[in-house]
Amino acid sequence: MKLAHSSTVPVPVERVWTVVMDVPRAAACVPGVSGVSGAGEDRFRGDLAVQVGPVRLSFSGEVAIVARDDAAHRATLRADAKEARLGGSVHASVEIALARAGEGCALRIESDLQVAGRIGELGQPLIQRKADQLLREFGACLARTAA
Amino acid sequence: MSYAYHEPSELDEALALLARHGDDAHAVAGATAFMLLYRQGLLRPSHVVGLRRVRSLGGIRDDGGALVIGATATHREAERSPLVARHCAALARAFASVATVRVRNQATVGGNLAHADPAQDPPAMLLALDAAVTAVSPGGTREIPLAELFVDVLTTSLAPGELITAVRVPALAPGTRAAYVKFLPRTADDYATVSVAATLRRSEDGRVADVRVVLGAVGPTPIRATSAEDALRGAAPDAARIAEAAALARDAADPIDDVRGSAAYKREMARVWTERALRSLVA
Ligand SMILES: Cc1cc2nc3c(=O)[nH]c(=O)nc-3n(C[C@H](O)[C@H](O)[C@H](O)COP(=O)(O)OP(=O)(O)OC[C@H]3O[C@@H](n4cnc5c(N)ncnc54)[C@H](O)[C@@H]3O)c2cc1C
Repeated sequence: MKLAHSSTVPVPVERVWTVVMDVPRAAACVPGVSGVSGAGEDRFRGDLAVQVGPVRLSFSGEVAIVARDDAAHRATLRADAKEARLGGSVHASVEIALARAGEGCALRIESDLQVAGRIGELGQPLIQRKADQLLREFGACLARTAA
Repeated sequence: MSYAYHEPSELDEALALLARHGDDAHAVAGATAFMLLYRQGLLRPSHVVGLRRVRSLGGIRDDGGALVIGATATHREAERSPLVARHCAALARAFASVATVRVRNQATVGGNLAHADPAQDPPAMLLALDAAVTAVSPGGTREIPLAELFVDVLTTSLAPGELITAVRVPALAPGTRAAYVKFLPRTADDYATVSVAATLRRSEDGRVADVRVVLGAVGPTPIRATSAEDALRGAAPDAARIAEAAALARDAADPIDDVRGSAAYKREMARVWTERALRSLVA
């Protein structure tokens, strides 16, 4: 499942880039994230609690920065998480690209999500809505954090 | 996997059980929606609190002109209730439009609202009738207008452990007419592809004094088509004006592609069925 999110942030691109690449700080911008800690070079561990309607999910997993280009403000992240309550997993490949947009910064996040196991029963429309919502809130929080 | 089943007869007891077990508890009434999610393995409560024996949650009554339907009243009770029929025949029809008699005998009015599937029938009609639920938690009682109850797909503004005790439908202004139409291109007991609930009242000169149009199944929640309402309010509801309002309802729809049709098709059907509903109200 592919998801795309774009937004503009009224903050210079360098400042946003610094926050985005500080994974524990950026992760704090995803609602429901907790317990983020380092797990080696460019690797981080953490938990994510999400509620989709009456269904509560709790993920634990890892995020790794697999490629980054500080000059071009582009990075590729890989996230692998297991869902413990119901059973299932999510694997995501995430491309982040920042670009100058006037005084501010254009943020673009493209994700390719693979959902396996029982949580897939939620169905793509619902999963997509939830992921979109998390990305939107992440973008808005990033703007506040970098400002 | 299994859970402990509790069947309290007092509301306080039910609230206390939900508060005590927090995330590990789930309330059920008719259990029709609950069982589907449970069998899919999406719900894993260790305590289930059945509401059907809580007597104060049942029944249908008139309260000084307002219609009050208890949360655990079944759809079948509501569709056959003389009080509901007298208050608004279209509301009785919306309850009767749900699935099959077998489901309606089991499924409750409160469970329907709490489940908040946007393709359900009663929510659109109840929103058009400006209804509100009464919700109770250990912290107290509050009224939630339906426009504020539905937040997203399967998501309400109820707090964890908060229960709906009843839905209250205010008295309709004299002369108000109401309609509920459900577009079912597949089978008679399916969820709506599109549904439209509308109320309309005309003043003595024939102009529209008041109107509400709500679309079901074409968005994350029932959608109030306020632009369509604005186009009609104060106007003579002739065929051209109704067609214009229906086109605005199409633009208000926000459907997704699924087994019941493409988003574009559903938008178009929202127009067609809004036009039909409005025409029936001025015929
Ligand atoms: C085969 C089938 C076909 C269907 N077709 C239609 C249809 O055509 N149209 C339509 O409108 N609907 C349809 N439905 C949905 C049906 O209307 C709902 O499943 C039903 O109304 C839910 O009521 P319930 O009492 O069974 O709720 P439950 O399954 O007991 O509960 C549903 C949810 O609401 C919560 N809940 C229940 N009562 C309360 C309360 N008092 N306060 C707070 N939370 C509460 C529960 O915790 C649970 O999360 C269909 C369902 C089935 C199974």
